Amino acid sequence: MIQALDTPADLVIRQAHVLDPASDLDGVADVRVSSGRISEVGQNLRGLRELDADGLHLFPGFVDVHAHWRTPGREDEEDIESGSAAAAAGGFTGAVMMPNTDPVVDRPVVVSGLVRRVERESRVRARVSAALHMGLAGERLTEMRLLKEAGAFCVSDDGPGTRPAGLLRNALLYARSANLPVILHCEDHALSTGVVHDGVAASLAGLPGSPASAEDTATATALILAAETGAKVHITHVSTALSAALVGFFGERAYVTADTTPHHLTLTDDLVSTLDGLYRVNPPLRPDHDRAGVEMALRDGVLDFVATDHAPHASEEKELPLEEAAPGFLGHETAFAALYTDLVLGGRLPLARLVEAMGCAPGRWAGEGGSLQVGAVADLTLVDLSESWTVQRDTLISRSSNSPYLGRMLTGRVVATMVGGNLVHDRTGAKFGLRT
Amino acid sequence: METRSFLTLEDTSREELREILDLAGAFANGRVSDPLADKTVCLAFFEASTRTAVSFELAARRSGAHVISLSEKGSAIAKGESLIDTVVTLDRLGADAIVLRHPAAGAAALASRHTSAPIINAGDGRGQHPTQALLDLCALQRSLGGFDELSRRRVAIIGDILHSRVARSVIPGFVQAGIDLALVAPGTLLPPDAGAWGLPVLSSVDEAVGWGAEVLYMLRLQRERMAGALIPSVAEYSRFYGVARRHLQNGALVMHPGPVNRGVEISGDVVLDSSSLIPDQVAAGVCVRSAVLTLSTGAISKAAA
Repeated sequence: MIQALDTPADLVIRQAHVLDPASDLDGVADVRVSSGRISEVGQNLRGLRELDADGLHLFPGFVDVHAHWRTPGREDEEDIESGSAAAAAGGFTGAVMMPNTDPVVDRPVVVSGLVRRVERESRVRARVSAALHMGLAGERLTEMRLLKEAGAFCVSDDGPGTRPAGLLRNALLYARSANLPVILHCEDHALSTGVVHDGVAASLAGLPGSPASAEDTATATALILAAETGAKVHITHVSTALSAALVGFFGERAYVTADTTPHHLTLTDDLVSTLDGLYRVNPPLRPDHDRAGVEMALRDGVLDFVATDHAPHASEEKELPLEEAAPGFLGHETAFAALYTDLVLGGRLPLARLVEAMGCAPGRWAGEGGSLQVGAVADLTLVDLSESWTVQRDTLISRSSNSPYLGRMLTGRVVATMVGGNLVHDRTGAKFGLRT
Repeated sequence: METRSFLTLEDTSREELREILDLAGAFANGRVSDPLADKTVCLAFFEASTRTAVSFELAARRSGAHVISLSEKGSAIAKGESLIDTVVTLDRLGADAIVLRHPAAGAAALASRHTSAPIINAGDGRGQHPTQALLDLCALQRSLGGFDELSRRRVAIIGDILHSRVARSVIPGFVQAGIDLALVAPGTLLPPDAGAWGLPVLSSVDEAVGWGAEVLYMLRLQRERMAGALIPSVAEYSRFYGVARRHLQNGALVMHPGPVNRGVEISGDVVLDSSSLIPDQVAAGVCVRSAVLTLSTGAISKAAA
């Protein structure tokens, strides 16, 4: 872990509004951090070093289980340093790196190489997801037990998904015996022949559409196989109302969790009428009835948490006609602010549920962080809920700039992020200089 | 001089349509001479085209413009140069207008963001083909006796609407001109939300005639879509979605953007003579495109037209 910034031995964060639904904390308090862990939460704490956080909110660090840091292979778009810096700037203290890189993360030597690079280059706790099958080609299983020994945290088919259901079933059975969680990208390629959601906007614009059934049938297959095999399955980027309902149906019947993304919660497919390649993403932006269904499922806990599917792309892959552009959005730096602005300030999601969905729940899934209770690792996010800011190309920390929120004014800004008590993001360095 | 791009007909008003068609009429009557003298028109075709390319080239030359043609073969386009690079290059070389054909929807709009030269969309993917709809209106109004005669006429658009950029320009253009439209296609060749246009959807040419269609606008069915997953067979398609002799008994007119698949959209035994507007459409293409090029470069302003 990079320790470029100040590393206090003992620190008190004073007078922040501490909000952690997992520990029932909701009020102004002081938090003491010792040896990288939270050692005390209370009133009138004093420390050798103090950080005045009056007026700010303190949350458990956010965890993003779906990040594409493009390493190895496309370091021109993102690498571990820039991806983790972008994550830290968005308040994330942990992330899971997806395996659809070049080469694919399907061999133990690639995993161990990534794990070593993460130790040197990452600002946040980055975990490596290995591929579910060789080359993500849907033909041969990966050496899951060796991948796990090499340091893989989970396995995933993200990117293409898994075409043959028979192979998916075997992969889930094998992952279960390897004791690895599986993150699944649900997409039926026989149905997903288009580039945007097959709806009104696509019809009028003349863009080839993929129907919602492309996601829904694959989600149903994945859930049925999860129930049958007993594997620990996480369905990522749920984007339709029906898929969310299917996850709800299987909630009691399988060892399953699911996430949705900030963009599927805040944007709809009418953006594709701009024909701008920036707005191509997979799964595609959906109509508002799907967006609303996904939002309700997140609010009710049917969808467990939010993950960003942070997918950097070089500008030459986005400044193209929409159907030729690469699919994907940046996610880390705008996730909290976009959701706070649209859902919390819009009165549609309580702030506590958003904090749970970005911090507590994914932290529990990832096995570390996600809590401010005494003894927990000091993975923290300090946010100024009163600050409004405009998303601009040249102030993004990611190496790419394909954010669908470019030019949008958002409210709520991460001002500092700590991992194990180390300041890994400090937007207003002067203000947060530690006083001895 | 004010320039303007022609990317789509979605936002074109009735008065703008009338203005363009009036100018096209002036070109047809030889009342406009060399409005584009000293102008350079570039034809950038990223997709094969014979008819549209020839029509635009004639339109530009007859208006006195210099014409530079880039097509797939032997040009930078064949070498995989990007759309934006090509457009920026043409812009710096001094193009006064760029006519663009491209296989992806939105290409013309993207190009227009990277050049100050007006872009004329000559067809982009399934998106738009505005000059086709304009020449269709031009041919139709001439046959009916003037622009105002278009109002409340009944036109059925028949065939592969899903994949058709022609349909996506014809529908808004014809609606703005006051024409009543109906769509005729099987579910596999209709967009899922065809209802978004707010038009009736009919299930055969017979039904269209029963609905009172005075014009049967046939769309071309591409060869690769003729058998298999989208339609079961050409025989079944032509039986329900093709023009047969009986459909023309009450004086209905036939239009088609060309080239016609005989025996598919139009039965082999149909004699297209007085009932066909197809040759008129082709002829209207040149004067309409002259008008569009002239308006796009600002060589003739609205008032003068």
